[in-house]
Amino acid sequence: MAPEGFTPKILVLATEACAYPGADAVGKAHLEYGANVYVFRVPSPVLFPEDFYLRAYAHGVDGILIAACGSDCPYRGAYDRLAARIDRLTGRMKAGGLEIGRIRLTAICTVCIAAYLKEVRQLDEALRKLGPVNRQLAAELQQRVRQEMRDTAAQQRGLLVGMTA
Amino acid sequence: MDRMNQSETERCGNQPASEPRVGVYICRCGGNISDVVDTDHVAEVCKLIPGVTTAKVHTFMCSDPGQQTIIDDIRQEKLDRVVVASCSPFLHELTFRGAVMRGKLNAYLYEHVNIREQCSWAHKHDPRGATAKAIALISAAVGKVRHSRPLEKIRLANNQRALIVGGGPAGMKAAADLAACGLSVLLVERSNRLGGKLASPQRMFPTGAASGEILSKLESDMRSTGRVEVLLSSEITRVGGFVGNFDVTIHGPLGPSGSMTDTNVSFGAIIMATGFQPYVPHDGEFLFGRHPAVMTTVALQEALAAAPEGKMLKVNGHEIRRVAFIHCVGSRQVEGVHQPGTDGRLNKHCSRVCCTTVLNQALQIRSRFADTRVYDLYQDIRAYGRGHEQYYTDASRAGVVFFRYHGDEPPAVTAEKDASLHIRVKDYLSWGETLEIEVDLLVLAVGMTPGPCEQIVDQLKLPRGEDGFLQEIHPKLRPVEISVNGVLLAGTAQAPMNLQETLAAAGAAAVKARSMLVKQHVELNPYVAQVDANLCEGLGQCVAECQYDGALKLIETSRNGRTVKMAEVNPGLCVGCGACVAVCPNRAINVNGWRLDQYDEMVDGLVRELVPA
Repeated sequence: MAPEGFTPKILVLATEACAYPGADAVGKAHLEYGANVYVFRVPSPVLFPEDFYLRAYAHGVDGILIAACGSDCPYRGAYDRLAARIDRLTGRMKAGGLEIGRIRLTAICTVCIAAYLKEVRQLDEALRKLGPVNRQLAAELQQRVRQEMRDTAAQQRGLLVGMTA
Repeated sequence: MDRMNQSETERCGNQPASEPRVGVYICRCGGNISDVVDTDHVAEVCKLIPGVTTAKVHTFMCSDPGQQTIIDDIRQEKLDRVVVASCSPFLHELTFRGAVMRGKLNAYLYEHVNIREQCSWAHKHDPRGATAKAIALISAAVGKVRHSRPLEKIRLANNQRALIVGGGPAGMKAAADLAACGLSVLLVERSNRLGGKLASPQRMFPTGAASGEILSKLESDMRSTGRVEVLLSSEITRVGGFVGNFDVTIHGPLGPSGSMTDTNVSFGAIIMATGFQPYVPHDGEFLFGRHPAVMTTVALQEALAAAPEGKMLKVNGHEIRRVAFIHCVGSRQVEGVHQPGTDGRLNKHCSRVCCTTVLNQALQIRSRFADTRVYDLYQDIRAYGRGHEQYYTDASRAGVVFFRYHGDEPPAVTAEKDASLHIRVKDYLSWGETLEIEVDLLVLAVGMTPGPCEQIVDQLKLPRGEDGFLQEIHPKLRPVEISVNGVLLAGTAQAPMNLQETLAAAGAAAVKARSMLVKQHVELNPYVAQVDANLCEGLGQCVAECQYDGALKLIETSRNGRTVKMAEVNPGLCVGCGACVAVCPNRAINVNGWRLDQYDEMVDGLVRELVPA
């Protein structure tokens, strides 16, 4: 249960082409949402590996909204790859005991004011019920994912050496 | 590509030996920010952020004195990083990069924080929350900028030649203007002749000039330069690359034999002069295609050119005693009233030229054939150009009878037994009376739909507007540019235009293309992937992930006397999406300006507790 007066820290990863101007549009319309919502501008969230999200939780971010371009994505194949990655990430979170309600993937367009407000409010409500993130657990998961990536690399390195030998 | 430049970027990429000195500037925006955010308090707290040596507040950072503060402080306070917290980066990021540059600092050692659109305006009733958020966002930006590296724009050799797609009036005009500046031009036309829609004989409004005269003048202007090569019956089958280096495959009768072959050519800029297609009414729309007496304005134009002089207009041997025009066929379509096209879309746009086209044709009929009566059924007469209104006045004087219908109550057309047509229309010039007329010919004033250019649009990812036409970057400020750098719009590929507007747009596109083509080099944003040679093991996962041919490849290089594999980026082809970044187990590849370690720093900056709660 969440402690009394808990305010979650919400990170929004907003695409430069769609969601970031979308978030601007909310402000331009002087519509309000919680000041606990922080937007980072990104070319495309496809650049974040799974461990980036887990590291953010480990450092005290309670929830992450990935506000992407969806079908308007200016980069070839990026949205599908992003969606697949977030799928894998939620699978890991679930298996590792980290609440999957802490991550949301959505598409926000440059004028999607209502959608933006709905998404941040729903995530905020969900996080207030979940309470603060278990940073210890997130840190362990992050380490595990990093290790797996390194193991895969080592395996591949072995294969490469095998090929040249 | 310019290899020297890349290595220079890499050399600059090393972290400075000493701890960066960051200057933070907080804008009040004349109260837009400071009415909600306690900017003075923000500045005080920001001084506690590691690396910040200066934090100041200004009423308008974007003003000359505001920018001068940054320039002065870079010198006096020995700043080597700058953060401005103000409005959205889309407004003033470039402004402040410019100021940083004028302060003799690399423009990319700058971070922009949005505390207006995404803070003061969005948290008006929570000043304490907004103030805390502004501090957290600045703290995140400081975290990022401390790890920023100087970047240089990517310089690539420019291929100083233009490709013009389409040999209609727009393409010919753009070709003539570019060639007159001394540039070499290749014009590719899909059909077997030049001229596009202008090739069919017609009297042009508003001067009454014959289309053939205009066309031959355009062609001689173009040919006389000696710098325009024209390829007829040819098509673009593949296009890739980027400004300065578009790589195009043309399929056409090339070479001495004239047999159909593929040729690859490179261009610095591409002008899209792909034109329009007249709307084709769907089967049965106002009896089109089902009754011989129903035709479009396009067909009437040919009929008028072929019609023998006399008391009465003759079409296909039939005497036309009465002719009616219906405006807005395939334009200004209304949901629930009109049938969508094969792509499921309605043409909601006004095609602009059809009103004056109808008036022009009606007047020609009235002046040449005294015994042919003309009815004109319109929604609104939009005779918007200089001299166009005179056509309306003249048509009224010449006895053209006007009816005005509403878009959601189109006229109803039925066939009569004697080969004539019966039209019922609710007429708002007589306050909603239902009027009925009989005619021997019905002319549908068809609008414009986008011309065919699917291949290029798909391959270059050119954006289309809601109306399906190619969409400019900004309708007023950048009217002939499209979001793909180096591609320009000329004429009706962009929107319905008359000939005058088409040629003006083509001239503008030529000037824009010229400004790109005269440069020896093109400069691209440095936000592309970059490989850290010390970390890359040549595993190739990034290469497998990359969706852009040639942007990323594995090369063999020598390290400590051993031959090793390593990923290499072609900055001209990399779009900076970062798909490669996520899959590297060593974090050896990053997008310049948006590196992963910088995002980690941003997260840490965001959650940092600067003042005990």
